[in-house]
Amino acid sequence: MPLTARGEAIFERIPNSAPRESTGSIGCEIVRHEELCIGCARCASVCPTGATETSGTFDPMQLFAAPPDSRRGALGEALRKIARHQPSGPIEVPGRVSSFRSIVYEAEKCIGCGACARICPTGAVEAIPVSAAEIASSRGGEAA
Amino acid sequence: MSEALVEEQAQAAETEDAERKIIGFFCRECAYAAADATGNARISLPPTIRSVLVPCTGRVSPLHLLKALADGADGVYLAGCLVGQCHYREGNLHAIDRVEFARALLQSVGVEPERVQMFTMSAADSPKFVAAARKMHETISNLPPLKRK
Repeated sequence: MPLTARGEAIFERIPNSAPRESTGSIGCEIVRHEELCIGCARCASVCPTGATETSGTFDPMQLFAAPPDSRRGALGEALRKIARHQPSGPIEVPGRVSSFRSIVYEAEKCIGCGACARICPTGAVEAIPVSAAEIASSRGGEAA
Repeated sequence: MSEALVEEQAQAAETEDAERKIIGFFCRECAYAAADATGNARISLPPTIRSVLVPCTGRVSPLHLLKALADGADGVYLAGCLVGQCHYREGNLHAIDRVEFARALLQSVGVEPERVQMFTMSAADSPKFVAAARKMHETISNLPPLKRK
């Protein structure tokens, strides 16, 4: 992926710099807070590289971690009342159940554009900008 | 039909006294008509069955199913239209998958998945409606009471 003019400018200030091969560009660091996720999958629909995708399974532990006033939280509360033991792991989700699916995020494919964080309605995806100074110091240089 | 109304009716059905309680969510277009025909023919249903009228089985979410179990029911079942004959085209197909999901959730925490079931029937098929109610009653009678925390 070509860099923006600003990206080029940043790299010019850093000695021996080149875009990292795995990510190809400077971007935000994506942090997901799964307990806030409501499974709307908007992050997956806007992701340009397929780094964020909906999976075919769901981990019931996510229900227990969800905020109590949310829909997932209410389901978790009901499940906790009748549970005999801790969930035994992720379960297969039938085709027409769309909102109870775990979202899979692969950092390897991510370019850090932050589209997922912008569209997330609950703040479950956070995009933390990486400053030029941090990039510079990780490469043994100094930002101007 | 509002979210509150569906939950309220489910709760009202749960609070009546009986040893075992089974909540049936019945589709207005078929199962409820079959229930009417059953009543007209003076066929009795098992005393454990409490009915909740829903416009379509597609209205019922996994939350309704598990909340009924958590709040006092020993079993929950859906009675909807035959596959391909849903009044809203695909409501019963959604319901079938949600029931399957609820069963998988129950299984993952060690609860018998048979406590949640789905039946399909036509509006004229009251014998099938009665058979579904009796089968559900029999299944739940053979299971121990559901323990709650």
